[in-house]
Amino acid sequence: MRLGKLLCSAALASVMVTGATAVSYAWSLAEAAKPYAGTTVDVVFLLRPGYDAIEAMLPAFEAETGIKVNVIKHPYENALGEQVRDFVAGGDLDVALIDLVWIGNFAENDWILPIDKFTSNPDLVDPELDIDDFFPLVLNAFGGWNGTTYGLPVDNYSGLLFYNSCMLKDAGFDGPPETWTELKDVYGPALTKDGKYAFALQSKRNETQSADSFARVIWPFGGSFLDENFKSNLNSPESQAGLQFRQDLMKYMPDGIVAYDHSEVVNAFAQGDVAMITEWSAFYSGVMSPETSKVADCVEIAPEPKGPAGRKPALGGFSMSVAAQADENEQAAAWLFIQWATSKANSGEYLERGGVPARQSAYADPALAETYKFVPALVESWQDGVPEFRPRFAEWPEVTEIVQEWGTKIMLGEVTTEEGATEIGTRMEAVLDAAGYYSGDKPLAQ
Amino acid sequence: MRGQVSRRTIFAFIGPAVFGLAIVGIAPLLYAAWTSLHFFNLTKLKRVEFIGLENYWTVLTDEVFWQAMGRTFFLLGTALPLQLVLGLGIALVLHKPGLTILKTLARLGLVLPMATTYAVVGLLGQVMFNQKFGVVNQLLGGANINWIGDPTNAFAMIIFWDVWQWTPFVALVLLAGLTMVPGEVEEAARLETKSWWKVLRYVQLPFLLPGLVAVLILRTADTLKLFDMVFTLTRGGPGAATEFISLMIQRVGFRGFDQGLASAQAIILLIITIFLAQIYIRVFYKEV
Repeated sequence: MRLGKLLCSAALASVMVTGATAVSYAWSLAEAAKPYAGTTVDVVFLLRPGYDAIEAMLPAFEAETGIKVNVIKHPYENALGEQVRDFVAGGDLDVALIDLVWIGNFAENDWILPIDKFTSNPDLVDPELDIDDFFPLVLNAFGGWNGTTYGLPVDNYSGLLFYNSCMLKDAGFDGPPETWTELKDVYGPALTKDGKYAFALQSKRNETQSADSFARVIWPFGGSFLDENFKSNLNSPESQAGLQFRQDLMKYMPDGIVAYDHSEVVNAFAQGDVAMITEWSAFYSGVMSPETSKVADCVEIAPEPKGPAGRKPALGGFSMSVAAQADENEQAAAWLFIQWATSKANSGEYLERGGVPARQSAYADPALAETYKFVPALVESWQDGVPEFRPRFAEWPEVTEIVQEWGTKIMLGEVTTEEGATEIGTRMEAVLDAAGYYSGDKPLAQ
Repeated sequence: MRGQVSRRTIFAFIGPAVFGLAIVGIAPLLYAAWTSLHFFNLTKLKRVEFIGLENYWTVLTDEVFWQAMGRTFFLLGTALPLQLVLGLGIALVLHKPGLTILKTLARLGLVLPMATTYAVVGLLGQVMFNQKFGVVNQLLGGANINWIGDPTNAFAMIIFWDVWQWTPFVALVLLAGLTMVPGEVEEAARLETKSWWKVLRYVQLPFLLPGLVAVLILRTADTLKLFDMVFTLTRGGPGAATEFISLMIQRVGFRGFDQGLASAQAIILLIITIFLAQIYIRVFYKEV
């Protein structure tokens, strides 16, 4: 009887083991999606090349899974507000598109789900998911909050130095500047002449002012928004050095630079009016296309220049996460979509179609650098970025408005760098105080 | 009973309108008033709490709010007189006898700016006032004027577009007022004096006053809620140079998500608008 039981148990165990093995070997997207065929997944996309790339690939996903992906497109500036309103109202969104600085907000409001819920389910997790293949900095910064991973990175960028090698050569330079100081003191005077400018820094009063202009100059000079006690660090000598540097650099930029957004600086560069810009890798395809760029043959790309504190390049981009408001079927279908869109298998096609994947394996082939000039600089930048380049806590939407207003006033000379930093610091601390950071109600996570 | 209308009939006619107004006007207003008394941030709904008049105190002691209010009234104080002067001039020209077809065409043309969506005006402005490629600088002989990136120029640009869009409205309202002047009275006045000013002041102006009051109230309310055109054109920048009160409220409520504070700002703005409307009516209707 005992022997019988033992044999039965052994047989059962062996069936379970082989069965489990069989499941892992047999996993396919089509099989995993079968229970969810006919489900519609609502997802927010931006009007940017990285999303056009996924959209072009979608028919293959829909054909294989029977899951319908309903894409809702927004310009970047509207994406946060639209999603917040959808989540507050218990709307239809099944996939959240999360900017680096929104993750704390979304996670603390329980609008998104940790990926554990799906990676722990063998029916849903692709054995090839290989989470370690994502650049660690990118996965942490874009998908993680307070030690938990909520999203998988998509459409990720690092700030890069785009330079017009022809203009630099004509001015006697063999290559791009290594440091910000060199850019200002050596390249600035030599390249600013005859209605052309050495540099353009997008500084319009929106997220561009905070992310692309203000933060870009404080970090390489050793500054930061906050110190370890979450008090303003903007009046520190390092932050002030960065802000003063921006003021000094403005004489080598076009007039009215505070009205320049991404499109204006990219256009000025593509028209040959500006020799260098620091822009996201996502704009690569635009400046390289002869249809939209007069200088396509002259474009070269390097990592952002270094400051006294190192390179500390701008970090931007998004992750996709499953929305908690979706029902169980929609959540599973949404996860399968996110997993597919960010998969290793699709990263090559995504890159070819104009997207920027965050998979290390996507850039393993050295030959890629010949086709995509931005790859070496991007990979180097993703080794040296700062996750809290802009603080990612829930209060960022309020803080960024303050930075945008006073950052622009500093650039216009309406206040000094010290006065502007004091104003931002006082107002930022009031927001953080009201949120409960100083009373110990909230952990000092950014 | 004959000639009297029953209560039921009155309710049947007026009821739907009152109900509609209550749904789309009164209910949101009451909700905004309720919200303004709470800490109500869309991204912190777990912390909604009654805070009494704290939001109002914050608004009334916030210098940024009053700066935005000052900017808004400066816009009103510069754009509205221009609209009135230009609108009256256009109305007087169109009121003159003769050239009927041309006047009809001119009247049709006047409707076009008003019919243009605010946001489209802002987008047009972005293109036309572009420093390098814009048609405005080209028309100024290839000038290199930085319109959008300079605080003073950006403000001037907003005034220009507001005047461009709403002078026709003023002209049409005043033209309607001029047509109300009895022909024989105006003719008799012109026989009495050759001074066009005297005819305007003593004969035509009394008929223009109701229209002028309507223009003042509507344009004041429109300027206080001016948003779309400025948002698409300058987004309140550079710095805060064109951040008018509506842009500030939108920023606080929909970009900072603080609905409580934004509601308090909106309620205060509403009170100011009602107060101004009362002043206009009392001052100008007295003269009539």
